[in-house]
Amino acid sequence: MSMISVRDLRKTFPIKRHRSGMKGSIASLFRPEYEGEFAAVKGISFEVARGEIVGYIGPNGAGKSTTIKMLTGILVPTSGDATVAGLVPWEKRKQLAQKIGVVFGQRTQLWWDLALIESLELLKHLYRVPEARFQENLATATELLGLGDFLQTPVRQLSLGQRMRGDLAASLLHDPEILYLDEPTIGLDIVAKAAIRDFLQTLNRERQTTVLLTTHDLDDIEQLCARIMVIDHGEVMFDGELNALKSRWGGRRQLIVDFASDPDADIGSISNGALEVTQIDGPRVTIAFDRDAISAPDVLGRAGAFGEVRDMSLQEPEIEDVIRRMYEGSVPIRT
Amino acid sequence: MDRPITFREELRIAGRIASIRLRGQMAYRASFLLQIFSNFLINTAEILALFAMFYRFDTMGGWTLSEVALLHGISMVAFSIGDMLTIGMDNVAPQIRSGEFDRVLTRPLSSWMNAATSEFNLRHLGQLVQGVIILGFALSRVDIAWSIDKALVLALAMISGIALFMALFTVEAIFSFWTVNGVEAINAFTYGGSDLVQFPLHIYGRTLRFLFLYVIPAGFITYYPALYLLDKPDPLGMPDWFVLLGTPITVLFCLVTAWGWNQGIRHYRSTGS
Ligand SMILES: Nc1ncnc2c1ncn2[C@@H]1O[C@H](COP(=O)(O)OP(=O)(O)OP(=O)(O)O)[C@@H](O)[C@H]1O
Ligand SMILES: [Mg+2]
Repeated sequence: MSMISVRDLRKTFPIKRHRSGMKGSIASLFRPEYEGEFAAVKGISFEVARGEIVGYIGPNGAGKSTTIKMLTGILVPTSGDATVAGLVPWEKRKQLAQKIGVVFGQRTQLWWDLALIESLELLKHLYRVPEARFQENLATATELLGLGDFLQTPVRQLSLGQRMRGDLAASLLHDPEILYLDEPTIGLDIVAKAAIRDFLQTLNRERQTTVLLTTHDLDDIEQLCARIMVIDHGEVMFDGELNALKSRWGGRRQLIVDFASDPDADIGSISNGALEVTQIDGPRVTIAFDRDAISAPDVLGRAGAFGEVRDMSLQEPEIEDVIRRMYEGSVPIRT
Repeated sequence: MDRPITFREELRIAGRIASIRLRGQMAYRASFLLQIFSNFLINTAEILALFAMFYRFDTMGGWTLSEVALLHGISMVAFSIGDMLTIGMDNVAPQIRSGEFDRVLTRPLSSWMNAATSEFNLRHLGQLVQGVIILGFALSRVDIAWSIDKALVLALAMISGIALFMALFTVEAIFSFWTVNGVEAINAFTYGGSDLVQFPLHIYGRTLRFLFLYVIPAGFITYYPALYLLDKPDPLGMPDWFVLLGTPITVLFCLVTAWGWNQGIRHYRSTGS
């Protein structure tokens, strides 16, 4: 059974002509004048199964947050269908809220004027979490996210990373089946990022929590997501395994060969459609090759004809490169 | 929990949250007391104005000071309680503008309940205390032949009044789903209305009377119940059963408000960042 099921989901925002002043605003209240509309999400479809961690990525303004807002019931879509945990989000918002956790990286769900622990206790009441369960979840979160140092600190005094960890703990007190994370690692240091990733992995492994994660941090993706969806201009450009994305858009791997001494000068001549010598730096030669056309041992074999090989290393395409190539190859950015 | 939340649970949760938030404020006791006190003082000015007026004239539209104070008392108590229970509504407009309203919609409470209780404080306690004093003053001075009917009319006026003001504060918030400015205009109706119905309705012209009976039915929760309590004939010549209209009209007003609120929620578009 799908945890999230989305069909032809579409959201357009009306672009309103701005009328100034009191008179203008009252007039526009009764007779709004629209200049047109802007399609932020243009009919996307996908399914997410229970226990998946899906990376939902794309350039700025792609429509990621808008999608998440529809799947939490915050926004009512212009057209299309969706069910989340068996509920239509914008119709059963209240019920759905009990089953989902939502973290918006840029905003907090904690109360500024309360201590972190008080905020969490408030949420306990809000979500009707039984006391024993609350204590258990609090203990887990405290341990894995290291909340202990600042549980008693007022939220307004927390650093970004501390607040983020607090927010994450807060979103999980009621054992949600699905967790939406919209840029949960934005602005965090390596330690905080690692803590959050570990926490999410543990959660997913032990509770089968389904996670839909939006991020611009590709390490998040590599470490957490078996599946990624790339969205751009409101359309899904890719949906599949990370490796598939790499081989489809990532193209070339690189073999770096260290010879015992400088290889024959005409090593460059082995370049063909499948491989290319991109750099010769003394005894070190870099060869880029197409994974589908030739295997690494073959490449090494051909290079070996030009000298004694002492060492070699293989570099996978960086996911950054992959994504950049994808974004660049897509429809030109509108201005 | 899988079971859908019941209204009673929502109320209990809202109450619990209010008490936690209140505890936080009590921590700053001095500023807490100061706020209540300054709220008390501000409203004192209003009361002084009332006394000053009656210092010059003995009656107003045929009503004595104590009788007018009855209108004041009902209106002030209803207004301040209604205000206190919907303080969070003040935040709705800025929350919509900033996109913070998103959060209200990810909670397992009805959006209205959540928005109304997103903040709670006792700042308006000063006004409530004053309303109670005025009401007590009025009730001790006027000559009322008490009966069960009259007690019931007063109680219903109070309850309907609270509900009506809660709805009015909600209406202000509803408008902010469509427009960012102009909400102050609605505000003026709520505050103006609560002031206006503190005086006998027949002293006003046709337009104002119509407005505060049939558009914003505040007149029904002060004027007609007061007429009934004081055994006064209606100088406007409306039938006796008008005293009974307050509650059904308030219910209708609340239903329309609830409908408007839901339209607003569906219209909410969040922000791009
Ligand atoms: N409330 C809104 N009103 C008007 N336009 C909006 C609104 N929300 C989003 N948009 C527009 O819709 C598009 C998609 O926005 P969205 O926030 O979904 O992007 P995103 O993929 O989350 O981008 P980012 O990576 O920058 O967070 C953007 O062009 C944005 O300007
Ligand atoms: Mg976004």
